[in-house]
Amino acid sequence: MRNLRRLRTSLRSGLRGITGAPLVFALSVATMAAGMFLLSGYLLVVQNVRVVLASYGSDLSLVAFLGPASGSTQALAAQLRAMPGVADLQYVSPAEALERLRGDLGADGGILDGLGENPLPGSFEITLTPEARTPEGVRALAAELRRSDALSDVRYGEAWVESYARILRALEWVGAMLGVSLLLVLGVIVAGTVRLAVHTRADEIAIQRLVGAGGFLVRLPFLLEAAVQGALAAGLALALLGLLFRFGLPLVGEAMRLVLGVATPVFFGPFEIGSLLLFGTSLGLGSALLSLLRLEESA
Amino acid sequence: MIQMYHVDLRYDGGTSGLSDISMTVERGEFVFLTGASGAGKTSLLRLLFGAVRPSAGQVLVSGRNMARLSGSDVAVLRREVGVIFQDFKLLAERSVFENVAVTLEIAGASRREIRARVWSILKRLGLAHRLDHRPRALSGGEQQRVAIARALVKDPPLVLADEPTGNLDPELALDIMDIIADAHARGTTVVVATHDPTLLGRYGRRQLVLHRGKLVGDHRLDQRLRGGVASESL
Repeated sequence: MRNLRRLRTSLRSGLRGITGAPLVFALSVATMAAGMFLLSGYLLVVQNVRVVLASYGSDLSLVAFLGPASGSTQALAAQLRAMPGVADLQYVSPAEALERLRGDLGADGGILDGLGENPLPGSFEITLTPEARTPEGVRALAAELRRSDALSDVRYGEAWVESYARILRALEWVGAMLGVSLLLVLGVIVAGTVRLAVHTRADEIAIQRLVGAGGFLVRLPFLLEAAVQGALAAGLALALLGLLFRFGLPLVGEAMRLVLGVATPVFFGPFEIGSLLLFGTSLGLGSALLSLLRLEESA
Repeated sequence: MIQMYHVDLRYDGGTSGLSDISMTVERGEFVFLTGASGAGKTSLLRLLFGAVRPSAGQVLVSGRNMARLSGSDVAVLRREVGVIFQDFKLLAERSVFENVAVTLEIAGASRREIRARVWSILKRLGLAHRLDHRPRALSGGEQQRVAIARALVKDPPLVLADEPTGNLDPELALDIMDIIADAHARGTTVVVATHDPTLLGRYGRRQLVLHRGKLVGDHRLDQRLRGGVASESL
């Protein structure tokens, strides 16, 4: 019971720290909110770029050409359909392939009339499951298909897929670097504000220690303050970003359509918003913990 | 209550604060710690409430070896020790009530207990009418009484006072010392650091004399009341 009362006293001290210097607290929240705004904005861009890239990824498909000894087309189709990563497939007969080629050649299609026998093989056009619509997924499925004796060749637009993979990798690296940099900056901001709060309340801490407050009870108010600061900053940043998304995006709609193509920009869902609020709170707590590590135990 | 055996205290950089101090203070005793400025009085008191640790030797307070106490052990010990400073160390933005209540809050007392005990001690020290005032609205003597109330409100078995009258005029100084003496009369062990000869003469208690970090005298008997030579030079 006494421990609970001590805890309550400590929490009350944290709230007093917030209400006792509202301007300092508001400035700290605003500074952190600016950092959180940058981070959230960056994450929003990443999320939308991923949507765009995923829509490009849905174009990924394979064409598997039948060999001379392919046997029953239906049996082969069933065998391919059972492979992991295959969502659907469509058989294109040699005659259909020739017709398509003729269509592609347009006015020059007549040159195909001289062919005595149709040289084109039958093929399967394979569409991928959503999970397999990645450069790695396409490569793995192509390698698996190439092991089949019934197929003579597998094509999936290697050059395009490799470029796509390179773009994804570059985005991931740049994203990670930016994310870590923003995190560090945010951590330094929060740690600085906690140190400032500790400095401002040095007398209070000294007296609390003098009358028997342990390290945990002395630190707890600052942790609470930093957690509230982090949550408020994240909330403020998300609110600002939401307003900008709602009212600012239509003003640059044409440019966005050019950049994003057919994809419509989307804002964070409840899960992402909850995660960012939790992240802001944790960042406040973590930075406060780090900056309080050096607070002397006995002085 | 307090035992010190061959205690040395050296600060960072090697400066010696105390050297080879050995002494005991019995439970219920009233002891003056005296000596010129820089003699080591404050350093010795800081050892007793765990603000510093001895560089050598042993310091026992209520049977606890101060050198071996963890941070949380020191916190627990401080709940049993009242400390009074020359500069009061009050929280300027808190009321008199809140300044005194902080001791009980940290000890985990209930609100009812806090209200009752704070009211009682402030009434005893003549500050009941100042309950809601901020320290800056009080005189120096009143501020020191608030600091004493904070130290005494939980009836600690040991009170340490570092020049408690140093910032006060002589009349107020006696008033403050009477309050501390009253706490001693109720059974509290008291150690007061002072270099004020008026106080030493008036209260005639045991005096531990420090000079340049060494204990050079232990005047054990009440000379004023009992007469005769009763001091022991070390």
